[in-house]
Amino acid sequence: RAVQKAFQCWADPGSFDSTPSRSPSRTGFPRAHRLNAPGRRDHPDLKHIDPVVLKHCHAAAATYILEAGKHRADKSTLSTYLEDCKFDRERIELFCTEYQNNKNSLEILLGSIGRSLPHITDVSWCLEYQIKTNQLHKMHRPAYLVTLSIQNTDSPSYPEISFSCSMEQLQDLVGKLKDASKSLERATQL
Amino acid sequence: MLLELSEEHKEHLAFLPQVDSAVVAEFGRIAVEFLRRGTNPKIYEGAARKLNVSSDTVQHGVEGLTYLLTESSKLMISELDFQDSVFVLGFSEELNKLLLQLYLDNRKEIRTILSELAPSLPSYHNLEWRLDVQLASRSLRQQIKPAVTIKLHLNQNGDHNTRVLQTDPATLLHLVQQLEQALEEMKTNHCRRVVRNIKIFSSGFALAPWLRGTVQLCSS
Repeated sequence: RAVQKAFQCWADPGSFDSTPSRSPSRTGFPRAHRLNAPGRRDHPDLKHIDPVVLKHCHAAAATYILEAGKHRADKSTLSTYLEDCKFDRERIELFCTEYQNNKNSLEILLGSIGRSLPHITDVSWCLEYQIKTNQLHKMHRPAYLVTLSIQNTDSPSYPEISFSCSMEQLQDLVGKLKDASKSLERATQL
Repeated sequence: MLLELSEEHKEHLAFLPQVDSAVVAEFGRIAVEFLRRGTNPKIYEGAARKLNVSSDTVQHGVEGLTYLLTESSKLMISELDFQDSVFVLGFSEELNKLLLQLYLDNRKEIRTILSELAPSLPSYHNLEWRLDVQLASRSLRQQIKPAVTIKLHLNQNGDHNTRVLQTDPATLLHLVQQLEQALEEMKTNHCRRVVRNIKIFSSGFALAPWLRGTVQLCSS
């Protein structure tokens, strides 16, 4: 409701000039992208507007844009809503065009929000030949050291998982990963 | 290469000729069992009562035998070297033969047990995978986001632990490619040459106990 009210205010030609460069919808989109960055309220063309009204409009615009992006709203949904808020044709067109231009980046942004399992980003390996330890001499066997780089959504740190394996074990590991990638290939062809 | 036996060690082993060869064989079995599962002092007491000696004597005898077997296995000494090392103890021919047989029978298993004592990183045990497609989340509906969920089973110091991880299709292909390259490396001339030469190089040396000696052949 607050969004609708703010939009209705926005629609009023008296408060907001309808020239494109001064449209809050232009600034609203970059704002939605930099959710944590301060809003561009000091845009020169918007100076004559009451700052409280401006703030509400920006907030409403950002909220609506995010909701629309989340639900993958199409042009007709947007138009209908904006018509209900008493936006004129020209402004609706403007808003929809801006929305269309920014749609992909918006969806990428929204898609990257959320919890997920620790994500493997890379692997590094090292092949060594074990000669002896203080417990066992004449070992003479090759061994691999594998390190997986992990990215964690929960914490900003980048932990790693390291483990050793023999040649047979690495063959087993690679075999299983290859099975997974073959299944993936088959699934995408269905 | 001969084993160096300390005076104290020789003293402990001196108990062995005083008992039947069946008893020595039994001590040998106990020694290996202790290596597998850890010591059990009650066994010493039982044996001491039967043999009519103090349990300390039995303990020293078993421990002496254990040390003899583990050192020989660790260094992987030849039959001849083992026989020559034991010769200094002045045991009977029959006892020497018995000890040699104990060594040869249990050498492989003892080496396996010793290899588990090495400082180790978690080692690979198994990998399970699953293909998932994310269809929606709280922040975005109507998605098609494929992912591969992986359960990695690792062993460390006898503990089994698992890590659940995820990756995307592109990274999965990258992982496969990188690790296949790793496997290929072992077949290269460089690695083959090093492996061949290290075997020759290390076989003729009298070795001081070093900490982990490894040669890094290559890395990603």
